Amino acid sequence: MNDPIMTDMRSEYSKSLIQVGHENSNVVVLGADTTDSLKTSGFGKQFPDRFFNVGIAEANLVTMSAGLAVSGKISFASTYAIFLPGRAVDQIRNNIAYPSPPGKKGLNVKLVTSHGGLSVGPDGGSHQQIEDIAIMRVIPNFRVFIPADTIAVSKLTNLMASEYGPFYMRMARSKTPLVHSESQEFKIGKGITVRDGSDCTIAACGITVRMALEAAEMLEQDGISCRVLDMFSIKPIDGEILEKAARETGCIVTTEEHNIFGGMGSAVAESVSESYPVPIKRIGAQDMFGESARDAEIPLLLEKHGITSFNMAKQAKELRSKKI
Amino acid sequence: MGLNYYQIKKNILRARKLVIKATNTAGSGHPGGSFSMAEILGCLFNKHLKFDPQNPQWEDRDRLVLSKGHAAPGLFSNMAVAGYFPESEIETLRKFGSKLQGHPDLKCPGVEFCGGSLGTGLSYSVGIALAAKIDSKDHHVYTIIGDGESDEGQVWEAAMTASKYKVDNLTAFLDRNFIQQDSYTEKIMPLDEKLESDDITEMWKDASRWKTGDKWRSFGWNVLEIDGHRVEQIDAAITKANATKGVPTIIISRTIKGKSLEHMEDNPQWHGKAPDSDVVPIINSELDSQFLIAPSIIAGDMSNLESEVKRCVTGRSDLIHLDVMDGQFVPTKTFDHNKIKELRPLTVIPFDTHLMINDPVKHVKDYIDAGSDIVTVHAEVTDESSFGEIHDTLKQNQVGVGFAINPDTELPEWSHKFLSTLDQIIVMSVVPGKSGQKYIEETHSKMARLNSILNQHNFSGCIEADGGVNIDNIGSVFADGARAFVGGGAIIGQQDVRAAIKDFRNAVLKSRRRMLLDKANQLGGSDLVNKWIGLHVIGAKQEEIKKIAKEAGYL
Repeated sequence: MNDPIMTDMRSEYSKSLIQVGHENSNVVVLGADTTDSLKTSGFGKQFPDRFFNVGIAEANLVTMSAGLAVSGKISFASTYAIFLPGRAVDQIRNNIAYPSPPGKKGLNVKLVTSHGGLSVGPDGGSHQQIEDIAIMRVIPNFRVFIPADTIAVSKLTNLMASEYGPFYMRMARSKTPLVHSESQEFKIGKGITVRDGSDCTIAACGITVRMALEAAEMLEQDGISCRVLDMFSIKPIDGEILEKAARETGCIVTTEEHNIFGGMGSAVAESVSESYPVPIKRIGAQDMFGESARDAEIPLLLEKHGITSFNMAKQAKELRSKKI
Repeated sequence: MGLNYYQIKKNILRARKLVIKATNTAGSGHPGGSFSMAEILGCLFNKHLKFDPQNPQWEDRDRLVLSKGHAAPGLFSNMAVAGYFPESEIETLRKFGSKLQGHPDLKCPGVEFCGGSLGTGLSYSVGIALAAKIDSKDHHVYTIIGDGESDEGQVWEAAMTASKYKVDNLTAFLDRNFIQQDSYTEKIMPLDEKLESDDITEMWKDASRWKTGDKWRSFGWNVLEIDGHRVEQIDAAITKANATKGVPTIIISRTIKGKSLEHMEDNPQWHGKAPDSDVVPIINSELDSQFLIAPSIIAGDMSNLESEVKRCVTGRSDLIHLDVMDGQFVPTKTFDHNKIKELRPLTVIPFDTHLMINDPVKHVKDYIDAGSDIVTVHAEVTDESSFGEIHDTLKQNQVGVGFAINPDTELPEWSHKFLSTLDQIIVMSVVPGKSGQKYIEETHSKMARLNSILNQHNFSGCIEADGGVNIDNIGSVFADGARAFVGGGAIIGQQDVRAAIKDFRNAVLKSRRRMLLDKANQLGGSDLVNKWIGLHVIGAKQEEIKKIAKEAGYL
């Protein structure tokens, strides 16, 4: 594969917020003393009356977003992943997801975080959120996204602004390789086949989509045709694309920067086991916390948890032998 | 807009009864915290809150956020009284399929906030208030927070944020009832100072121990501190809060958990427990028997009525009775509306203006303008037409309507049609215009006659006993049906007005306790009498009630 073009999700998020802010005057943005880091402060400069920095007070951040939303605003609340689902789950559940105005499900709040997963790097295990998908997907009315690149970030930010209801979107800290084209469509509950294949499937999300594509290339050299899915929409999950992959390729490897319990891999397993059971292997944090790693060492940290192209290819090969 | 204090109190009583009905039917729920905020919600719903029960989503409505969500029965009851849904629906509380969930929920149109998880309502309210500012809307956000939930750090996160963003369109009430689920707040997590004994009245007695207001002030809030069961204080505080610009306001309302029912008051057990069915009728009688003490200042120094008003304030009277005499209807002359206007700024305690003057219809507007909260005119100087005019003028100005009869006057036939909308009837038990007279004993039998007429004509106001009422006879006057008591010499004539009022209250309380015991005995014999006594576990109440029961031969 060619060397990837690396782009910054937070910059893209900032740009998209300003765009939706111009298009819709009901968009408001809230932050919790991480607005320069998340780059939401750009929105604040454009729309000072619609931007609120509540300080290091995530519970307040979440509930205030709900108060604004119940009054007709479209709230985007952002900080690091570790401090939102990891810290304010009660407020997320009881103030955003649960309150349902007549005919609606939940309030119109978009929780968008950065610094998801292990690739946070140097800040260490205390800052590496590997539980957020499990937490967020178990809460009724929430929809959960993990974008693979900045094109996804931009399109999903626009989608969330126009679609009523609570959403959670988790971005990565570091620059991410572009995997999608500008013309790629993103629909709620629809996975994307980023590479077709017939012998096995790797279902990925976030930064692991590019790794999965690299694994597919390795497999191709061994004569194995590997399908790669970007399961950016973890909830709702695309049962159709998964059933098709199960039927047509017979086994599925999942891969994510999240605990293997409760994450995207679990969501895939739940779906496939009900539609067309095939062998599944989940790659991700093996129920253990992360640790510090300088930027250049992040691949080592990921490797410790088996999150490498090489391991994906290896697991896919092994899984083929278990096909029913 | 809004109702007069008498009508507000009537609606508060209705709401309290619905709380009892709701929690009793549900078999669970939180009456204690519903009652501590009853006057706050009553004052909001019946006077200040802009809303439309037919259009709960009306964009310009004020928002009421009940952060202490467990007091849902209190909120739902007020909504029922306000017409959001039929009062009978209150019996679906906490039941499967009901919109009246165990905690406030958007499922019920008109509810603004899903409560339950404590400490979040203020943040939510700040969000609503900021949205209103963005949209240049002038509706107001009122938020009720509990003192127990103030343990939550998020309350203080929101407090800082409200201050930072200057959300002056937000007014919070702290329902400071000193009790949370486990015990007294000052034992679990002191907001004021640590409570050493089990007597929470200790906290009430000593203002130097109150630190809660200081906390909020230091967070940049405008702080008003009031007695949260006095409608006039709540009313005045809301008006002040709404006029305060640039900062949010918190009205720290000292309240009593379970207020209005002796066995629930200040009793942590009633945080989250429903009353049993057999005691509900006794509870309703107790709720119907709230009473007011109204010192008459003309019994004091006529040359310094300002000082007499101040004595009523320190004495914590419920009303201040103002006897206006013109020297014609009665031989004596006291003062007129000009004096009342001068006295008005001294206190927010309601002025109970009793016009003993000829041609009251000509003067009633003056007494409204002077700041009377109720104006009572005499049967002897009105007729159907003039009283009708007085009645309508008072109602239009949100002033209470009173009607008085002298000792030798019976209620005139023509007045019957007004009875259902009257706020007060004064039954004179002395001949007006002379001081120092004795209570005319014939009044007792007159009260019996009167009660039957009043019942027939759906009178739901208050009977005020005026003349010769003292510590020895007040119990029997209460038993006759009077619920407001004018005290002349027996209160204002005493050195210590506060002690005299307290003695009045205790004497009424004793008579009321007897009445409730009679009711218990009549409904369920000695079993129910014993059960009723057994409910009164706080302080010396139980022993006192036992003594009364023994005297009555029930034990």
